[in-house]
Amino acid sequence: MAIMITVKLVGVFRIDRFKEQRYPFPSGSRATDVIEALKLSRRLLGIILINGVHASEEDQLENGDILTLMPLIEGG
Amino acid sequence: MKINTTDPAAHPEQILYTRCTIDLSNGQQTIEEVPCRNLEDVLGGFGRSFQDLAQRQIANAYCDENPLIVNTGLLTGSTAMTGMRTYFSSYSPIKGSLKGLPAAMWSAGSGKFGAKFKWTGLDELIFENRSSQPVYVVISESETGPHIELKPAEHLIGLSTHDKMMELQKEYDNAHFATIGQAGENWENVTMGAVALSTENQLKSGEDKCRFAGRGGMGNIMGYKNIVALVAQSEDKIKSVTAEVKKVNLNVIKGGGAARLQPINRGGGGGTWAAYDVLQAFHAVPVNNFRPQGNDIPEKLFRETVEKDYFIESQACYRCGITCHNNISEKNADGGRGEFLAKFDYEPLNLLGTNIGIHEAGQAARLIQLSDNYGMDAISLGVTISYVLSYNERHSDQPILNGAQFGDYEKIRQLIIQAGEGKLPEVGCGSMRLSQQTGETDYAYHVKGLEIAAYQPESNPGYAWAIAGGHMSMGTYGLLTREGKTDIDSWVKGITVDKLHIVGFDMIGLCKFFDINNGIGTQMVVDCLRSEFGFVVEGQLIRDAVRRAFLLGLALEFRQGYEKSEFCLPAEVHKNPNGQIELPNITSEQFFAQLEKRVWEIFDPELEGLVD
Repeated sequence: MAIMITVKLVGVFRIDRFKEQRYPFPSGSRATDVIEALKLSRRLLGIILINGVHASEEDQLENGDILTLMPLIEGG
Repeated sequence: MKINTTDPAAHPEQILYTRCTIDLSNGQQTIEEVPCRNLEDVLGGFGRSFQDLAQRQIANAYCDENPLIVNTGLLTGSTAMTGMRTYFSSYSPIKGSLKGLPAAMWSAGSGKFGAKFKWTGLDELIFENRSSQPVYVVISESETGPHIELKPAEHLIGLSTHDKMMELQKEYDNAHFATIGQAGENWENVTMGAVALSTENQLKSGEDKCRFAGRGGMGNIMGYKNIVALVAQSEDKIKSVTAEVKKVNLNVIKGGGAARLQPINRGGGGGTWAAYDVLQAFHAVPVNNFRPQGNDIPEKLFRETVEKDYFIESQACYRCGITCHNNISEKNADGGRGEFLAKFDYEPLNLLGTNIGIHEAGQAARLIQLSDNYGMDAISLGVTISYVLSYNERHSDQPILNGAQFGDYEKIRQLIIQAGEGKLPEVGCGSMRLSQQTGETDYAYHVKGLEIAAYQPESNPGYAWAIAGGHMSMGTYGLLTREGKTDIDSWVKGITVDKLHIVGFDMIGLCKFFDINNGIGTQMVVDCLRSEFGFVVEGQLIRDAVRRAFLLGLALEFRQGYEKSEFCLPAEVHKNPNGQIELPNITSEQFFAQLEKRVWEIFDPELEGLVD
């Protein structure tokens, strides 16, 4: 059974990808499955939000979730 | 340095640094080999200078008893990547307590001046008193050691930071420069003057690509002392890189925390500018004096927007592989590079861009360039201007100064020019003093007299405990945004244990991007010290030294009259919470009161007896 996830990408992750897109994923999918499917660089990955709340790669996704993936920020 | 031990923690006295003290009132100089008192002295930077500042009771930054200490860190000029730092320390003309006493302060900058300074054989230069005439100081190597000379500098007066360097370059080859601009010279009406440091790229291209020790008005201390420039002239003395340091350097570039700062075309995040995109996802990019509006207006200065109209180049400091900064130039009709405008780092771009209502990249770049050329701290300048604009928005019937409003490029440009030329002390002396004059202090975005960086205070209550500028002397600015920490325990630990270690980089001579999250008490640094100096020292001992240095900084704040109530955030944060910021609220008065209590419970016992 599939669940629908809205994936939002931020910063360099948008290059050659998208800003926001809805995706079907198998039930039981975790954030890490989306990251792998999109081939995002783990070196750059810094912040994961599920429905606006900080989350980890291992957190499981539910139907209708909004997953936001961002690179890490550094001071300047 | 003269090193007669392999154990710098147990036997610091067997390590001697070379210090020159110059009495500017009569030109007398003393060069000494000074035994280190402790590991902080060995590491250098503010770890050493603050111990010396602690021995002085200074009531006014502009007095002859206030020294200017110029030094380097242990790894400045070494083969360790990013080892380019120079430090300027003094009692600050801008950062001060409400009692009116100046705070001890340091400011750090890259560029190649620090390495050249170190290669002359000098580790520290202390300026006492002041010169009656403008001078520049030439530090050069000789067969008998470092040679220091004062030279008349009338011909340099009135020139910009960059133009002073170009002028000096005609006379001194194989040299690098530290200069002040007109803002530094006009110390009576400016307290946010920066010290510019020359870069290889700048001296070769002739383009104004300096780096800056911007914070705390160290450029004005130079100006007060009538020193307009420093020249460090030496052969390059980079040793061949050992396998051990090479491994560390590769880790800095590829495996360490700097990967995300690499250029996008190398798989990196594109430098500090990338913070725009991430913070905007939380509607936490400062807009119009730190009041994000919950809209997409910051996106106008996103890289993807700017690169349509401007030419962007990723560039690096000398021998650094991080390549963290982005130089912006006009784009020619054929798409090639036109006139160089400015370096886009997150802080100046935001604080002289979005946060003052400027959303066009070329305009923001021109304002950054002006700030750089006059030699002003872009953070203090941008935040003071945003205060003026906010005041004028609230008092449209009776605006102050030239009546500039958010986004009014021409009028803002005039404010910067007037401030840089010393004709507008209302701006030149910072937001704390201006807000005291207007009587509206709640929305002056400074902490302890020093303007905050471009991270919303709602995301960083740790600003209150920073000892030398909000984000680079307390690394908590990402604790909420990046790590999602909202509980008191995490914030107490962040402030009192983990994130204070960011200041270690301002001791040892490395840039924070060497390993910003872990500080200097790491195996990478231990390996560099063993390879460069034969030192055997545990990372924990380095961490202990950094903590002691930080605590001395806090203790000095109290010695200079700060009350605990001054360790606070701008009042608007509590009084008028901004519901547009999409982050959990960790700056309610209740949360902050709890945080204060817990933090001081830890720090108070450690501060006892640190200074007289």
